[in-house]
Amino acid sequence: MTSHSGDIQLDTSGATGPVHAVQRLLTKYPIHKNYNVRVFVQAILTIWAIMSFTFVLVRFMPGNPVDILIEQILTQEGISYQEAYDRVAASFNIDPNASMLDQYLDWFTDLLRLDLGTSITSPGTRVVDEIARFLPWTLFAVGSGLLISFVLGIVLGMMMAYYRDSVLDHTLSLISSFFTGVPNYIWGLLIIIGPGISWRWFDVGAARGTYDPGLTPGLNAAFIASVCEHALLPIITYVLATLGGWMLSMKSSTTSVLNDDYVNVAEARGLKDRRIITSYVGRNAALPLFTQLSISVGFVLGSGVVIEEIFVYWGFGHYLFASIVVRDYTAIQGAVLVLTTAIVLSNLFADLTYGLLDPRVRISGEK
Amino acid sequence: MCKRTLLLLTFVALSLLAFAPVQAQDNTLNVAWPYQVPPTGHFNTFASGGITLGQYMDLHEPPLAVLMWATGDYAGMVAEEFGWDEDGNYVIKMVEGKSWSDGSAMTADDLMATFNIFRLRGDAVWANMTGIEKVDDSTVKFHMDSPSSLAERIILTTNLRPASVFGDIADRAAMMNPDDDGWDALLQELTEFRPESPVSGGPYTILPDTISEANLMMELNPGGFAGDIQHYDMVRMWNGETEVVTPLVANQELHYITHGIPPTTEEDFANRGIDIVRSGMNNGPGLYVNHAVYPLNLVEVRQAIAYAIDRIQNGVVSLGESGVAVEYMTGMSDGLSEAWLSDETLDSLNTYDYDLMKAEELLTSVGFSRNDDGIWVDDNGDTLSFELTFPQEFADWSAAAENAVSQLNDFGFDISARGVQFQQHPQDIYASNFEMAIRNWGLGDPIPGRSYLQAYNRYNGQGQMAGEGAGAGMNFDNNVDYSGGMVNVFDLSNQSSQGVDKGAQAELVTQLAVSYNELLPAIPLWERYTNNALNRNFIMVPDSSDSVFANFGGGADNWMTTLILTGVTAPADM
Repeated sequence: MTSHSGDIQLDTSGATGPVHAVQRLLTKYPIHKNYNVRVFVQAILTIWAIMSFTFVLVRFMPGNPVDILIEQILTQEGISYQEAYDRVAASFNIDPNASMLDQYLDWFTDLLRLDLGTSITSPGTRVVDEIARFLPWTLFAVGSGLLISFVLGIVLGMMMAYYRDSVLDHTLSLISSFFTGVPNYIWGLLIIIGPGISWRWFDVGAARGTYDPGLTPGLNAAFIASVCEHALLPIITYVLATLGGWMLSMKSSTTSVLNDDYVNVAEARGLKDRRIITSYVGRNAALPLFTQLSISVGFVLGSGVVIEEIFVYWGFGHYLFASIVVRDYTAIQGAVLVLTTAIVLSNLFADLTYGLLDPRVRISGEK
Repeated sequence: MCKRTLLLLTFVALSLLAFAPVQAQDNTLNVAWPYQVPPTGHFNTFASGGITLGQYMDLHEPPLAVLMWATGDYAGMVAEEFGWDEDGNYVIKMVEGKSWSDGSAMTADDLMATFNIFRLRGDAVWANMTGIEKVDDSTVKFHMDSPSSLAERIILTTNLRPASVFGDIADRAAMMNPDDDGWDALLQELTEFRPESPVSGGPYTILPDTISEANLMMELNPGGFAGDIQHYDMVRMWNGETEVVTPLVANQELHYITHGIPPTTEEDFANRGIDIVRSGMNNGPGLYVNHAVYPLNLVEVRQAIAYAIDRIQNGVVSLGESGVAVEYMTGMSDGLSEAWLSDETLDSLNTYDYDLMKAEELLTSVGFSRNDDGIWVDDNGDTLSFELTFPQEFADWSAAAENAVSQLNDFGFDISARGVQFQQHPQDIYASNFEMAIRNWGLGDPIPGRSYLQAYNRYNGQGQMAGEGAGAGMNFDNNVDYSGGMVNVFDLSNQSSQGVDKGAQAELVTQLAVSYNELLPAIPLWERYTNNALNRNFIMVPDSSDSVFANFGGGADNWMTTLILTGVTAPADM
């Protein structure tokens, strides 16, 4: 038990107990040194930390659900404070003055059971049902917009790089810079005010919502067509707001690759331009953008807040926004959990795939 | 590549064509109110999240009566006859022969169910009531401690709910008392109760399948109250707040909104031929002071502030024609002042017309003077430096704050304005965490005493009332000494809405008005008038000189719902 130098050392070889059992297991199977396991554990801890931070943060926001609804009723209905308080206090099954620790323990216990709880402002309505109601629309609209924007950006960016210093390059650079500089809500408002109100190309009211009322959701042509129609304006807005970024990134990446030696060697070998573009330049230039894309996927859910409000296309962004406005703590926590998980998982995916694509990352991680 | 681009452009063009502009359907009334879609939104109008549709609740859950503000008389709706009996109880006889959209008859059971649920919720109306009794199938008697104008108003402006939906919970509530074991569980059951479909007793009923985030449709309910005198087959209720519905009004898809709109939008609407309807709301922004901060507790200082602000300018700058300067400065609207105060009293009131000389005299009378920079200095040698906070998201109140600060600083105050997040701002006032602030005076209620609850209760100790601990608010001592003697203004506010003797009530209201006018616990700036956008190319209602427009522009007694319930509102091309 005692070393020759007199220092006390722990001999774990014959010890018992859970800690020692874990130590022996890790000695035998050093999974903690595995890159994939480490990033996965980091992801779980990140989600827990963000959720705990969010839990505290929302309770430090001005007003609680009771206060907020009282003020809303007072503003809208012109009744006395006492009447508004009586009505609201009876409507909610919460005690806003309960200790934060008790609330945290309740919430965390439920979360371990994958129970996101019920809405505070709509008592009895499960948060998971609300998320399921709104999430698909954002995934569809913003996801489609992201894919279209990405593909267009890749193609146009490569064209800019290949024909750099040409009229095409200058024109597209100007357009992409302009697109990048205009935020999505400006695009949304311009679309409504210009084509919608001034030129009356479309009916502003009919374009609202996620599909036409009265249709039966399912795999039927009428419903699918309606869904596509209603998602069109949010998708166009998202594409306009993000296309420039992809174009400029792809142009930069392609220009860099075009100067690499292996491209010169390929040209010297007399390979056809088409093969050089697709197999040598395009693939390598797009590689960093795929990582960027996988990270962007995680931000899809949070990207639609303003667009969804402008077009009254209620998806996850609207749900999060509306929950914050009325201080529905359980709804906010549920939404942030989904948002955080999406971002962390997309980063995790980027980490893991980058490790696969570039072995140097994986090896250095394992070291 | 070219083919793909062409295909994409074709898809975009075709999709845009899908939304080709169309005129709103004939015989459909297009109005707006914000609501939540299911599952957050639901059909339990007693619970938070219910799709009530605000004032348009009258269309599916009709009111017992509507107050005609111009005359002060109630017009019966579901209540055919109503009034106090010789024992001081309130008796309502309902119209007969009406039915709910689920086929059940509209009877006294519905009224019983509605008020028993109110009891379960702990609604204020039960503070005056001792019980409720079904006299016959169409008559209900409300047993009262004592007759009260306030109780009458709360009863009559109640929206009726169907016993076929809420009767079970209501019956169980009627058998219990708040101290009973199952009471809280029953209350929870009520808040979590989700009727499968809406049941309407009014002229229109919500079609659940049409509810989207854009709008919902209500179809005619011929058997419901006023269902047989309607000119529209359908009502389309557009969803959303001001910024969401504004494009629809501009696009002429939406024909009437009660949403407050900024003056610039108002001008744009007017240019498009849309009428702007203005009716008093009995409230508006006022300048509140913390009476624990010296020298704001001095009446002379508050009066000087009132004289130093040009309220006409402040109102116009803030809300255009809908920001109407307060004239009488009584703590209630000028309309209520004229209705409840005698001519003699009105003549005696100080209207605090813009007068910098008088403001100067008042400050010098308490030993204040100006320093070398022209800034006022109090009798302790401190400059009159304050911070004025306001809810930064409210454009009109923000403008009122900035303008008031500018005028006061021009006069020699040293005030800095600071915007506060709008949900935080009232909490700051309740917690006395302010020096000067812009908050609302008055209340959209025809009972004058209730207007004073803002100054004497909500912003002055409401935290204690609500059981939330301290919350001294503006720290004003409700025991005041004025030319009429010593009174407790909070008690007066409550007493003035009790009883049914209007003469006695008017005496108390006079005391409230005169004491407020003398002491100015908070300084009213202007009264907010509605600026409802009404497109008369689509909707036919009387012109703006009609007395119905005196009715409150929001909440109960709204003129538009009153006109719908009385069968007046009709398509313009009828």
